[in-house]
Amino acid sequence: MRGLISAEFLKLRRQSKTYYALAAVTIIELLIFITAYYQGSAILDLLLSNLRQSFYFEGTLLNGNLIMYIVLNSLWFNVPLILMIVTSSLVTDEYKDNSVQTVMLQAVKKWQFMLAKYLAAIVFTLLVMAFMMVTTFILAYSLFGNGDLVVYLGTLNFFKAPEAFQRICWAFGSGSIAMVFYSVVSVTLAVLMQESAKTWIVSALFLIITNLLLKAEFLPAQVDAVFFPKLMDTWQQLFNYEVNWHQLGFNNLLLVMYTMAFAALGIWLFQKKDIG
Amino acid sequence: MLCALWVHAQKIDADLLRIKQRMDSVQHFSAMVTLNLDVPFIQMPTKNAEVNYQHGSGMKFASKDFVMLPKRGLDFSMNELFKHPFITVDRGTITRGGKMLKVINLIPTDGKSDLVMAVLYMDTKARHLVESEINTRKDGSYTLQMQYQPGQTLPQNVEAAFAIERLKIPLNFMGKDTKIDRKKMRSMETKTGKIKMQFRYRDVKLG
Repeated sequence: MRGLISAEFLKLRRQSKTYYALAAVTIIELLIFITAYYQGSAILDLLLSNLRQSFYFEGTLLNGNLIMYIVLNSLWFNVPLILMIVTSSLVTDEYKDNSVQTVMLQAVKKWQFMLAKYLAAIVFTLLVMAFMMVTTFILAYSLFGNGDLVVYLGTLNFFKAPEAFQRICWAFGSGSIAMVFYSVVSVTLAVLMQESAKTWIVSALFLIITNLLLKAEFLPAQVDAVFFPKLMDTWQQLFNYEVNWHQLGFNNLLLVMYTMAFAALGIWLFQKKDIG
Repeated sequence: MLCALWVHAQKIDADLLRIKQRMDSVQHFSAMVTLNLDVPFIQMPTKNAEVNYQHGSGMKFASKDFVMLPKRGLDFSMNELFKHPFITVDRGTITRGGKMLKVINLIPTDGKSDLVMAVLYMDTKARHLVESEINTRKDGSYTLQMQYQPGQTLPQNVEAAFAIERLKIPLNFMGKDTKIDRKKMRSMETKTGKIKMQFRYRDVKLG
């Protein structure tokens, strides 16, 4: 099993897609920084224009914490899409190169082979999130400095700089669980689709539908509370003024269970497949 | 300015002039101010700022945090009220919190004044302005309430209440699942906001 996992990491290290993914994450960050630099003040001015009639402002809200929050918003679509493309290739490349048949000819159990794929996908996702977090922290604070965070979630919520930093760290943690979920789903979809192009399209569709269902309001409240698309905004709940930690923990636990269920489904599907 | 106002002495309340004179005696002060904002659509923790006042230059604030300071309510020396000529009308007395307060209306006589009318509540015994309801052309209406420590010239607690319009939220600033409840938003078009300020004076120099 350890050998299988090492082999998966070696493949990830050697494949160019991994570095393209890291480059894509960096490009997204840089674009956010450039946009914030040129448009951030104008957006904040518009947001606070009514308050300016009654108040003077002392201090700036265009700071590293706001940039970190905007970068976190790339967890809705951009980052999961990149992760799904890369992690699904762990399986689709095996089919494309016919290496899956070679591996199966050896004394390797199918479930172990797939479990190694899932573990590699999870570790890779966590490494990308850590990379994103560290690079954003360094760039955001060095370019924009520290300061209070303002977020609009029904009300305009202000957080002092130390509290904002803590909430951002927790949000990266909670967001990582959501990203792991997407990666695991893409590996499962790869088992089903086998071809990379088809897997990417289905993965993108899954992502779009999940995002649409997150906003849907036609589901009964009981379903809403446990349906996985409704759990994808869990990291954002950390920016409610009062955090419901119990709900947050429950949602994350539920998302971990969904992740395990999708992985189990992928392993079961692969187990049933006849590798010709 | 006081000389000019004394010309109209028969029209300006003497107690108001005495309070103004007392506030003008403050040459300098520095203080720590604690700000608590109470606006329906804003959640903000308690903030602290340092304030320095120099007679003639007004107040200057400094803070490590992002702070919102009211545009009105920090004019302790009442310079804004006394900026343009006015008359006062005695409206009698009322009792508030066990204190007898003299009520006057302050009405500008100059069309240039932004002030439409002010109702001032004065503790004539302690020579303090305790409350004011101010109506302006540009900044709408607001009320100020001030509490003083016995024997102190400057207020320890100031509460400013004002009308505030709803926020215009840029779409790219909204959270993913933030719902736009238009009915609720319309009902929130104008709300009353309050800011409570508590001053802890370190250095007060009277002239």
